[in-house]
Amino acid sequence: MSVNIWTIVMVAVFGLVAIGLYGLLIIRNLIKVVVALQIFAKGTILVMVAAGAMSGKPAVGQSLAITVLVADTVVTVMALALAIQVRRWSGTLDTREISKLRR
Amino acid sequence: MSPAVIDMSVTWLLPLTVFLPWVGAAAVLVAGRAGRTLRALAITFAVADAVLSILLIPQASSRTGFSLVLGGAFGELSFLPDGFGVYLAAVAAVIGCLAVIFSVDYMRGEEGQSRYYSLVLFFIGAMSGLVLSANLLMMVVFWEITALCSWALISFHNDDPKAVAGGIKALIVTGLGGAGLLAGALAIYAQIGSFDIPTFMEKAGGFPPQLLAWIGFAFLAAAAAKSAQFPFQTWLPDAMEAPTPISALIHAATMVNAGVYLLARFAPTFSPVPGWSLSVLLVGMVSAFLAASMATVANDLKRVLAWSTVSQLGFMVYAIGAGAVFQSQFHLLSHSVFKALLFLGAGAVIHSVGTRDMREMGGLARSMPLTCVAFLIGALALAGIPPLNGFWSKEMVLESGLASGPFWAYIVMLVTVGLTALYTLRAVWMVFFAPPVAQHAHEAGPAMKTALIPLAAGALVSWLLAGPFHDLFLRTLPLHFPEAHAEAAGMAATWTAALEVLSAPATWLAVGVVVVGALVWAGRSGFAWIGTRLRGLRRVAEAGYGFEAINHGISKAVEGTGEGLRVTQSGLVNWNVGAMVIAVIVLLGIVLLVGGLGG
Repeated sequence: MSVNIWTIVMVAVFGLVAIGLYGLLIIRNLIKVVVALQIFAKGTILVMVAAGAMSGKPAVGQSLAITVLVADTVVTVMALALAIQVRRWSGTLDTREISKLRR
Repeated sequence: MSPAVIDMSVTWLLPLTVFLPWVGAAAVLVAGRAGRTLRALAITFAVADAVLSILLIPQASSRTGFSLVLGGAFGELSFLPDGFGVYLAAVAAVIGCLAVIFSVDYMRGEEGQSRYYSLVLFFIGAMSGLVLSANLLMMVVFWEITALCSWALISFHNDDPKAVAGGIKALIVTGLGGAGLLAGALAIYAQIGSFDIPTFMEKAGGFPPQLLAWIGFAFLAAAAAKSAQFPFQTWLPDAMEAPTPISALIHAATMVNAGVYLLARFAPTFSPVPGWSLSVLLVGMVSAFLAASMATVANDLKRVLAWSTVSQLGFMVYAIGAGAVFQSQFHLLSHSVFKALLFLGAGAVIHSVGTRDMREMGGLARSMPLTCVAFLIGALALAGIPPLNGFWSKEMVLESGLASGPFWAYIVMLVTVGLTALYTLRAVWMVFFAPPVAQHAHEAGPAMKTALIPLAAGALVSWLLAGPFHDLFLRTLPLHFPEAHAEAAGMAATWTAALEVLSAPATWLAVGVVVVGALVWAGRSGFAWIGTRLRGLRRVAEAGYGFEAINHGISKAVEGTGEGLRVTQSGLVNWNVGAMVIAVIVLLGIVLLVGGLGG
């Protein structure tokens, strides 16, 4: 059984997206939420590069991937900084606890 | 002067009239707190704009005078200096200028004057832009800017919850109407690929009748909301929390006319739509009558004037419904002058006495003689007493209504004329001639007098402009007046029109009704039994005929829905991601069912 390179890429993409989504759906720790978001984003970046290569325009896919990486980094830094602030002010990182404190 | 020179000056005058006040608004904001400089700047810009707008009048033509390509769907920022545009811009700028001058005394010592003057100038520019714009989308933009200025100025005393509530109410109601205007504009764009008003009016005949009807009624809703007509009338009295010069400028003389302007502008386009003209006529008639009856029972001086504004705007809308565009615009001119005068007079009284309740006034004729005379002139014009401007224009409206509207509507309007005389006399008597309640009043200040005297003079003589005014319309609005012949009749037309009005039997019937209305007030003790008989009706009228209850119900329903939907805003990241995943799955399902994007 010959394994196509695209099959491997697709499996990786689905794996990353599934892990990321699963994490976002059930994880309550803010830091871990950020990690799950990262995994999810890596899956989408991979699919962009793959889509560019498959359609014969690799440069487009790669430049989009670079753009997303930059934005993603900024989002992550901001999210982690907010998480630190949340921890300082409320003493917890549990998203439910934070919501309760607000009310 | 060669035509090229004329074109050049129009090209400059049009954008200057619209944007000079905005420059002034910015300058006033920058000038900040410095009291004297601030007022001098505001007055300079307001007077300059008034002069520009008057210079624009002789340049009126039916061709677009200025245009700037904005690109894409926005089309062009273009101004059309036709009869409607130049004269309504002049009304906005001149009355705006007088309101600014009046404010020098009225707002003395108030906090936030730079905000106040800057917003007033911003409004004057936006109002000129609204009436001069030849691009429907830009008109919507100016329309909403005037609404925003109105909101900010109603809520000017933003530590007063009533002022804040009144402002929000005005913004929401006129905003709803603005949505109708925007929807109509977008439908027009979808049909002809342009927002150009002359192009639309030319091609409207080729529209599917159904679509044209939708656009026509959307515009009617927009106009009714902006001009506080039935069933949107309730926002205007609540807007009286604004400083009084603002009530005079925005809520009597200019912004509330935008709806009447919209209907008049597009009357030739929509009048073939079945039922449109009759609906307009009914909206005007119902507003005129209901508002007049509410003015009769109100005790707040400014609310009386607000209801009377709704009522007089109803006269104009009624005239448009009867196909009398010129008569409606002529009444608009008269009304702008005498109602601005009444509001500024009321402002002088309120500033001096410190209350708006007419029951706490009385006997002010002695302490404020000039204000009393000015207010009396405005009141007599409002009541329709000859030879003041309100008499001539109201008679013209009534006669055109009798000629081309249903007879029962004419009767209702005639009763309204009587009610108008009744509530006007009641207000004048309660404020100036009733036995005085203990108080100390002082005459209006010099800046107030400077604004009151020209308006009082205007209320006496503005009707003499009927002839030139009619010529202006005939010359520049071929779509509205296809029967126009080229030669201008000038002042001679004024005398012809005056003679026509004086020789019509309907005029004397209306004057008779005015006299009856006045007599009812004079002999009110003899008519007290009517009051007791109609106590129920009076209570209903005081409660605004239940429209407040409807508003209350709607706002409660919106609030309840919001509270109910709050459950979905858990703020929990897991729930939000879950909702997103479900939405993506649903979308994918739809795409699969429909058979892929783009088939």
